[in-house]
Amino acid sequence: MNKIKGLALALFAMLISLTSCEGEWIDSELNIDPDAPSDVPMNLLLPGIQQSMGYNLMGNNSVRTNNIWMQIFDGVSRQSFTEARYQLTPADVNNLWINTYTEMMMNTTILVQKSRMEGSESPHYTGIGQVMQATTLGITTDLFGDVPFSDAFEGSRGNLTPVYDEQQKVYDTIFTLLDNAVPNLNSSENTFAVSGDVIYGGNLAKWEKAANSIKARHYLQLSNVLGNEAYTKALAAAQDGFESNADDYLVPFEDSNRNPIFQFMEQRGDIRMGATLVDLLVSNDDPRLEFYVEANGDGEFVGSEIGSQNESASAPGPAIAGTDQAVKLMTYSELKFIEAEAHFRLGQTTEAQAAYEAAVAASLLRVTGEDQSDWIASNLPGMTLESILTQKYIDGVGTNQPYADWRRTGLPSLELAPGAVTSSIPTRFPYAQNELDYNRANVPTVTITDKVWWDQ
Amino acid sequence: MKAKFSSILTLLLAFVVQITFAQDQTITGTVTDEDGLPLPGVNIVIKGTSTGVQTDFDGNYTISAVQGDVLVFSFIGLKTADYVVGNNNVLDVVMTADSAQLDEVVVTAIGITRDEKELGYNVQTVDAETITTQPNADVVNSLAGQTSGVQIVSSSGEAGASTFMTIRGSASITGNNQPLFVINGMPIISGGGNSGTGGVNTSSRSIDINPDDIASISVLKGGAATALYGVRAANGAVIITTKSGRNLTKRKIEVHSSIAIDRVSQLPARQDEFAQGNAGNWIGGYFASWGPRISDLEYDGDSDYKWDPFGRLVPEGTGNGMPARAYDAYDFFQTGVTSTNRFSISNGNDQGNYFFSMSNLDQEGIIPQDTYGRTTMRLNASTKISEAINFGADFAYTNSRANNIQKGSNVSGIMLGLLRTPPSFDNSAGYEFADGSQRNYRNGGGYDNPYWTANNIAFMEDVNRFTGNINFSAKVADWFNINYNGGVDWYNRRYVDQFKIGSRGNPTGYLGEFQSYNGIFNSDLLLNFNHDFSDNFTAELTVGNNLYRSYSKFLFGDATGLEIPDFYQLSNSSNNTTSSGVSEFKTAAVFADLRLSLYDMLFLGFTGRNDWSTTMPESNQSAFYPSASLGFIFTELEGLKGNSVLSFGKLRGSVARTANIASPYNTSNYFFASATADGWTNGVNFPYQGQTAFSVGSGLGNPDLTHENQDTWEVGADLRFFNNRLGLDLTYFENENSDLLLDVPIAASSGFTSTFLNAATMESKGVEISMNASIIDAKDFNWNVNANFTKITNKVTQLADGVDNVFLGGFTVPQVRAVVGAEYRSIFGFDWYRDEQGRVLINDDPTDNFRDGYPMADNREMVPIGDFNPDWTANITNAFTYKNARLSFLLDIKQGGMLYNGTAFAMNFFGTHERTANREVVYTDAGTIDFSQTPAENIVVFDGVYGRVDANGNPVATNVENVTPVVEDQAWFQGQGSNFGGGPSVAAMEPADWVRLRDVTLSYDFPELVNGIDNVQVYATGKNLWLHTPYTGVDPETNLGGATNAQGMDYFNSPGTKTYLMGVKVTF
Repeated sequence: MNKIKGLALALFAMLISLTSCEGEWIDSELNIDPDAPSDVPMNLLLPGIQQSMGYNLMGNNSVRTNNIWMQIFDGVSRQSFTEARYQLTPADVNNLWINTYTEMMMNTTILVQKSRMEGSESPHYTGIGQVMQATTLGITTDLFGDVPFSDAFEGSRGNLTPVYDEQQKVYDTIFTLLDNAVPNLNSSENTFAVSGDVIYGGNLAKWEKAANSIKARHYLQLSNVLGNEAYTKALAAAQDGFESNADDYLVPFEDSNRNPIFQFMEQRGDIRMGATLVDLLVSNDDPRLEFYVEANGDGEFVGSEIGSQNESASAPGPAIAGTDQAVKLMTYSELKFIEAEAHFRLGQTTEAQAAYEAAVAASLLRVTGEDQSDWIASNLPGMTLESILTQKYIDGVGTNQPYADWRRTGLPSLELAPGAVTSSIPTRFPYAQNELDYNRANVPTVTITDKVWWDQ
Repeated sequence: MKAKFSSILTLLLAFVVQITFAQDQTITGTVTDEDGLPLPGVNIVIKGTSTGVQTDFDGNYTISAVQGDVLVFSFIGLKTADYVVGNNNVLDVVMTADSAQLDEVVVTAIGITRDEKELGYNVQTVDAETITTQPNADVVNSLAGQTSGVQIVSSSGEAGASTFMTIRGSASITGNNQPLFVINGMPIISGGGNSGTGGVNTSSRSIDINPDDIASISVLKGGAATALYGVRAANGAVIITTKSGRNLTKRKIEVHSSIAIDRVSQLPARQDEFAQGNAGNWIGGYFASWGPRISDLEYDGDSDYKWDPFGRLVPEGTGNGMPARAYDAYDFFQTGVTSTNRFSISNGNDQGNYFFSMSNLDQEGIIPQDTYGRTTMRLNASTKISEAINFGADFAYTNSRANNIQKGSNVSGIMLGLLRTPPSFDNSAGYEFADGSQRNYRNGGGYDNPYWTANNIAFMEDVNRFTGNINFSAKVADWFNINYNGGVDWYNRRYVDQFKIGSRGNPTGYLGEFQSYNGIFNSDLLLNFNHDFSDNFTAELTVGNNLYRSYSKFLFGDATGLEIPDFYQLSNSSNNTTSSGVSEFKTAAVFADLRLSLYDMLFLGFTGRNDWSTTMPESNQSAFYPSASLGFIFTELEGLKGNSVLSFGKLRGSVARTANIASPYNTSNYFFASATADGWTNGVNFPYQGQTAFSVGSGLGNPDLTHENQDTWEVGADLRFFNNRLGLDLTYFENENSDLLLDVPIAASSGFTSTFLNAATMESKGVEISMNASIIDAKDFNWNVNANFTKITNKVTQLADGVDNVFLGGFTVPQVRAVVGAEYRSIFGFDWYRDEQGRVLINDDPTDNFRDGYPMADNREMVPIGDFNPDWTANITNAFTYKNARLSFLLDIKQGGMLYNGTAFAMNFFGTHERTANREVVYTDAGTIDFSQTPAENIVVFDGVYGRVDANGNPVATNVENVTPVVEDQAWFQGQGSNFGGGPSVAAMEPADWVRLRDVTLSYDFPELVNGIDNVQVYATGKNLWLHTPYTGVDPETNLGGATNAQGMDYFNSPGTKTYLMGVKVTF
């Protein structure tokens, strides 16, 4: 009797486990992540790309380092002090490189692909994507030289080791992207209206001006390669560029998503304002001083001499490190400085003078919030190539442009830091550890004192 | 027939005896084994006489004895038991297995119990007694030094800190390498405690087990031992069986209390001569301690200077005369106290049994406010439904609660703030001003005062866990029975992570609220068949089915920018983010286990298991895992039998294939909520500008994944000499892990940073030797020695195409990696420039930017600079018993293996390490070093040969040995003599060998101390009382990231502990 009962129970147990067995138990649908979408619309891709551009292209792995080298900042402690002696390793640029290629350019690639899908063509998104891609690619190649692009972003097709494009080709790509962006932005056939644009709020005219302005930036950057052609092309592009500070190509920050340099000062704090910049501002009674430079503990505006580790020097001020200070992908003032330099180089001094004054005026207005024509009248240094580039250097604080211009022109002239581990100020960033490790065959062999192609 | 004859004889004898001595009483009873089965042929003798009987076929006996006589029950393979004759005429005896005997029964995979002598692979068991007297909250720590082939690393001495365990090396590159834990047949969740480089060190979930509940632990090491676990088998298994009431003849209550005291063990040496400041000048608030001699300073007594109660430091003679002093930063640490109380009650009879226990542990750590607590309850019960059918259920509840403390690379980290503090600054003189702002040595900037961290930052974790299973067995026929075991392991983990406004890492305050639900369902059905083909050939077959489901979901919300101070609620901020995630998968399997026994000499085993997993692509869901093993007891051969020297000898060998499967959701690409960070700052996320956003995941999905494979073989010998007084067990094994799934890092220019591939191969080879000896076995005195030796090499033989290393953890520099051709988890960092023979180049070029006479950091690329894995480990336990006293001590030896002492390397920069004390340099008028006046101990000559770096950054070596004297001054320590000055990580690599007295336990038993109390055991245990190591930091049994594959990093890790424990266990 007991045996029968046992058998019955055993069979029941078997039944429980076997009926639910393999077939239904092993369900492939279970391996689809319920918490992550497989596809998202373009308006949800756009702001993520823009936020990353703002935080990283103008952030702590790019601007903080090269503005230390440009003596706009000084690294007074720990890693920033190491960087002030020009030590920058492949590992140090890994985060910048990875964020650039994945968060920005990969997602922009997807955005552009989606905007071209049959039946839902949205050339306005295509155009915005192309401008953003050209902006990112431009800053990236200026820092690194040859970089992957034409063979890049093909991981899902099995290409895990993209070849590097020579910088000349990269520049061609930048111009092509910008040239193509303009008709796309002007297209009348657009399925999905732009939304999610935190830079221009979907204002296509401003994107078009940004396309032309970025183009001017990069033509000027070729001055050592193209000679006068660089200036004429830059001027041609600038014609359709920004028309006022209201057109500035900015990435905003806010209380809950705070400016990258603000966060660095809050959470790391290892930089101060550099003496080179602060002395320039102080000596010319520059109204931007208190916006760029915070008074130190003694109420003074003091820069740290490079290499001095002067922790009691002034910290970056609100126009650089304000909690919600926007970062500048490009400004109207930069465009006017481009025009000033181009005209000046071409011997068109009248136009140059006008652009120079307009550039400084725009810079002062943007930074101080006030019209500073009196100061310009009395304090603006007379126009020379050096003063144009020095004023552009002051204007470009917190961007990568002072470093790009300094390499191209050697202006303003800077002393080598004491304790330098290199024999000269580096003229490029090293390639990222990530590429050295996983794409070694394609990575050019360089040291950080080698020059990029346009820096001849 | 024989048994019957002897029982008749016994009866006759008893009759005669009874006649002879009228005052004798007749004792009758039944002798059974632990399963309640009658034992025929048990010898029963009256102690000190030759009078004896044997049990009959049904286990019954009758013997005549006088009150006070001692009856000795003995049977081969079982523990000899003594019983005193009392008033009662009935004496039923349950005889238990004798673990010291040959026929040791071990629990193997899926709960199948087997005679150890039959096994074709190595299984080691750990005695429960050695665990219950240990002070470790996490039972895994108590396994350290108990077996061979196992490596256990406790991450720190923090209360409830995680522990990392591997068996026979690692089998996966980036996946889980910790063994499967099984309790009473139910696989449980045991991982966790991977904490990254900062944050807090959370617990491994093995901590939820009450060690006092454990009856035995089997450690299954090799593939053949674990093959029946299929896709969960590759990392070995720890099979835990909890106590039951099965062996009892009467109700047993055990009350067990202990109190333990923790003291901080070794700490990095700090200098106490020089004050805060720079270049010999005192500067209040300065980050470093490169100031003047403390003995040359006094206070100025200015009460307006808020950072120090006595004012600023000024040169002697210019202040108020109150001399400056050095404060001992280590006064911060306190004596930790752990109190543990356990209670259990159990009983059993032939109808069933139960075991019920409760326990509570409360620990205050060596760091103020660092606590761990655990409350457990367990009920194991089983009952017979009929003679053939048994039904049982085990239920356990655990509450684990902790307040974890900030550690590691983290501006709020306890050790970071503590070790950077200048000796002239007293952290304990207040951490918070009346206005709520912070007092620290950086005048409010820099790092949190450790007292601020302890009191104003909290990470409160609370885990409520339920584990339960039901089991059912039915004996259908003598040759067929059925076992079913099904259950769940379910827990809810919650933590609240709070930073007071003004904390350095979160100046606006922070609150994180995390909740997760984690569960496993497991079902095993086993059909067991056996058949004796003849006396000399028997076979057993088990076929079974397993279903398994794993589910976890978390919800997380946080807030920065708190509005109301000290109010920790998500609504107390306008800056909130939320996230959630799910991970779910199922597996199914069918398996079979065939065991053949020939002439009690040859034991052949075969297993096969087919697994299906939902985490694999549809076409590759299924995979088959076989094993075969052979045990050959050659001492059963004629001619070797009964040898007086070699009493037992077995050769064994096995081969197996086991595996691992992919984690869920790796077969395709997904988009995730956008956020970005740069490695320096907390970064930004969404919502942002009123938008939400998604970005494509950086991991590239792979629709062609297959199962991982682990092919293993092992051979071994089990030799016992001199009537088993000396045992020697030797094992050699090789594990070949192939098709290892790994997030292969790829060039970001591909658009992704990793892809999941079956790419890597890794091998693990090793020798395990265990020895046990009964050196003295006298009536009142025993001396036993148990020793284990392990030597394992664990090499990565291949990663993916074009990938020669994979990041496992650590920093930008250095980092722990898997590297082709190197030992798994090599540490990568920068080295010095060296010549081709590996000698360090000492700069001899006066024109370059390197200092002459010093080595030069080679920052061209990171290279392997050492690894954590030991060359070999050994442990020796000596146990002495004298009457009721027992003394045992465990020496644990680790030879080889390196740690990155980033702590000391950074302290150099800050001028707080003891080695920066020899900093003073006397200069000549010309500004050069005056070597004749500079103290000799401050002058060094670096080992190496002269050389330089050319314009292209390439080294140029001479062959000339360096003899240039130089000084280790501030410029050196803030230059290449520290990480922040650009020094290469290799300079911080230190050997982490050790010899430690891991455990010493002295116990004394008072049997029947008072009426009604069966036994009182009093014991004292010490853990890590003695540690010998060349490592100059904290106890080198440490890891920055906790229980993670990235072992070998020390960057301001919290220190380890020495523990003193007193306990008393009362049984009645």
